[in-house]
Amino acid sequence: MGSLRVTVHNSATRNRFAAVAATTALLLGLTAACGSSGGSNSGTIHVLVYGDAANKVEKQIVDTFNKTSKVKAVLDTIPGADYQQKLNTIINTPQAPDIFFNWGGGSIAPFAKKNLLLPLDDMIAKDPGLKSNFLPSVFNTAVVDGKSYGVPMRGTQPVLLFNNKKVLASTGLNIPRTWDDLINDVKALKAKGLTPIALGGGDQWPSLMWFEYVFDRVAGPDLFQKALAGDKSAWASPDSQKALGMLKQLIDAGAFGSHFDSVKFTDGGSPALLAKGKAAFELMGSWEYSTQQSNNPDFAKNDLGYSAFPTVSGGKGDPKDVVGNTNNFYSVVKKTRHPDAVAAFLRLMYSDEFVKAQLGIGNLPTTTNTANFLSTSASPDYSRFQFDLVKAAPSFQLSWDQAYPPAAATPLHTAVQKFFDGKSDANGFIQAMQSLSNS
Amino acid sequence: MSSLSLAAVSGRRPKERRAGIGVTRPGFAWAIPATLFFLLFAILPLVLVAVLSFTNWDGVTAPHFNGLANWTKLIHDPVMTQSIWLTLVLTVLGIVTQTPVSILLGVWAAGPQRNRAVLSAIFFVPLLLSATAVSVLWRALLDPNFGIPGQLPSLFGNGNLLGSQAGSIAVLTFVGMWQFTPLHALLYQGGARAVPQVLYQAAAIDGAGTVRQFFHITLPQLRNTMITSMILMVVGGLTTFDTVLILTQGGPGTDTTVSAYYMYEQGFKEFDFGAGSAIALLLVVVATLISLAVVRLSGYDKMRSTAEGI
Repeated sequence: MGSLRVTVHNSATRNRFAAVAATTALLLGLTAACGSSGGSNSGTIHVLVYGDAANKVEKQIVDTFNKTSKVKAVLDTIPGADYQQKLNTIINTPQAPDIFFNWGGGSIAPFAKKNLLLPLDDMIAKDPGLKSNFLPSVFNTAVVDGKSYGVPMRGTQPVLLFNNKKVLASTGLNIPRTWDDLINDVKALKAKGLTPIALGGGDQWPSLMWFEYVFDRVAGPDLFQKALAGDKSAWASPDSQKALGMLKQLIDAGAFGSHFDSVKFTDGGSPALLAKGKAAFELMGSWEYSTQQSNNPDFAKNDLGYSAFPTVSGGKGDPKDVVGNTNNFYSVVKKTRHPDAVAAFLRLMYSDEFVKAQLGIGNLPTTTNTANFLSTSASPDYSRFQFDLVKAAPSFQLSWDQAYPPAAATPLHTAVQKFFDGKSDANGFIQAMQSLSNS
Repeated sequence: MSSLSLAAVSGRRPKERRAGIGVTRPGFAWAIPATLFFLLFAILPLVLVAVLSFTNWDGVTAPHFNGLANWTKLIHDPVMTQSIWLTLVLTVLGIVTQTPVSILLGVWAAGPQRNRAVLSAIFFVPLLLSATAVSVLWRALLDPNFGIPGQLPSLFGNGNLLGSQAGSIAVLTFVGMWQFTPLHALLYQGGARAVPQVLYQAAAIDGAGTVRQFFHITLPQLRNTMITSMILMVVGGLTTFDTVLILTQGGPGTDTTVSAYYMYEQGFKEFDFGAGSAIALLLVVVATLISLAVVRLSGYDKMRSTAEGI
């Protein structure tokens, strides 16, 4: 009897164990099943984009494509700032998309070097329009080691020198055309007790924009290209020293005030300085305009001025050169099973429908036919100014923190901030730049 | 089977009663889901991180072993050394600033005063806000142009709070204090409520005033609560991350790059998961050692009651 009970008890335990184990296995199986969905099944291409308001246009283009194509496109979005991390996680797995959004330059160079991307040169040979319909200075951003890896697919965002027209008028100053004008304006504004230039130093990348422009004006685009290609001596060159000296001069003149480290662009701090007339200038990407439109609509409408970056006399760079975010790009994963469908999809990126839709949501596309539709833009003058600037630019330098691979972005930002704070001198900055990893 | 087992159980009822626990106590099987969960999501990742710390992995191509390269790099990395110091400084500052305030608040909130419940509810509001919301809020409040420092230049100077190491550490400590004091005050409130009233009554008869009662009865009685609170503060301090991410991003320069933030930078911003894993493992080791030390030194492991002899 006793032995019977023990047996029964044991078998009950065993059954209970089996039930628990089965439940656990089922749960694990479910989670595993979730992980294996997606990927490029036969007959579809997956298009992965950064999830935000612009997805409206991407969705529209995908629908247009699916109307005529046998291979259907599926739009996947990754919302928020984690895009690059998630992309990095899936790019070399069966879940990888066929076509994906990126920023060109350093955001795809590591993938290209690991042979994960499809060079588009064969497609371009078959259909030269895939290259010739885009502004060259923009298209070049997605060229890695001489091969084309991307097609522009959103709007360009050049960096411009914004100003508060009212402040300039009340102080009797003009928009600076040269570096010397800028220094004089800074001194005059400082004497009036204003912060001459608003700077969101807490974000770090707004300070970097000053380096990008001054280096380009002084040395031309080659210095940075050489450095990016691995020639570390470029950073120690006399031109580099001169550019750093000019930046130092500007900082020491009090151009940015004394507390820019506690101010950010991203939380609205520096745009408010400009809008409220506490500062006269801000160097910022073209999105300053839409930021001001939503935060300070009256200011954006009446008093927000903009101009190209001042020239530097004796500088080697073309005064028409621009820096900023050239555009976003669609790149293609090497493993795609439908390269022809992909090519057909990419051809839509210079269609009239695409250009009109992008202008409609406030983006400025960089196709050659964009000029025909500029009058349909929400702010035609502003769009035309930017488009002409970018079109005329011999060089459009991608922001340094995006031209370098992601691994270099943090040390680069740190070096920039230390230089602006006076915690490191020109030599300290040069050393920091020389130790950046460019692969 | 059920009828069999029923019969078996009913047949042995008297003995079962005595043994009691034998039937009702859940078997090990019940612990399996939790154990599996723990193994899968705590132990396994820890082991993987340990393995990864000896590899070079960008998250894209396969990781390959590079021996001690990550570790030698870390040892010679001034930012790493600094980050450990910063983490310890922030932890100690957190304990030093939060403990007195939360003891006072908690003991006060344990009392019978009028309006106490309403005021306590207000004091505990920060507890309901996420660290991100708290950081964003204080970032705006401390804006040098449009925030409090802009209105009080006599107190804040030029308002460049986040432009220096000392200023940034002060801000991080202050925001941490604002955010976490309510939690610890809640712990102390519970602890103070549990102090037997007879002690106060006896002390009152002996002529001890409020202050004396506080120092000679309340504080000693709160010893175990203090240790609990302190361990929470140590763990929280060592893993400080969200406030740094939003308030300072490790800056100015690398002046507030604490270990947890440095780990994030290496792993998820620079895609150097090997180095990130090494930092993570180092953090686990340091945190474990400190927790052990606190437990040992405080006698928490013996769990001696504060109510002995009452």
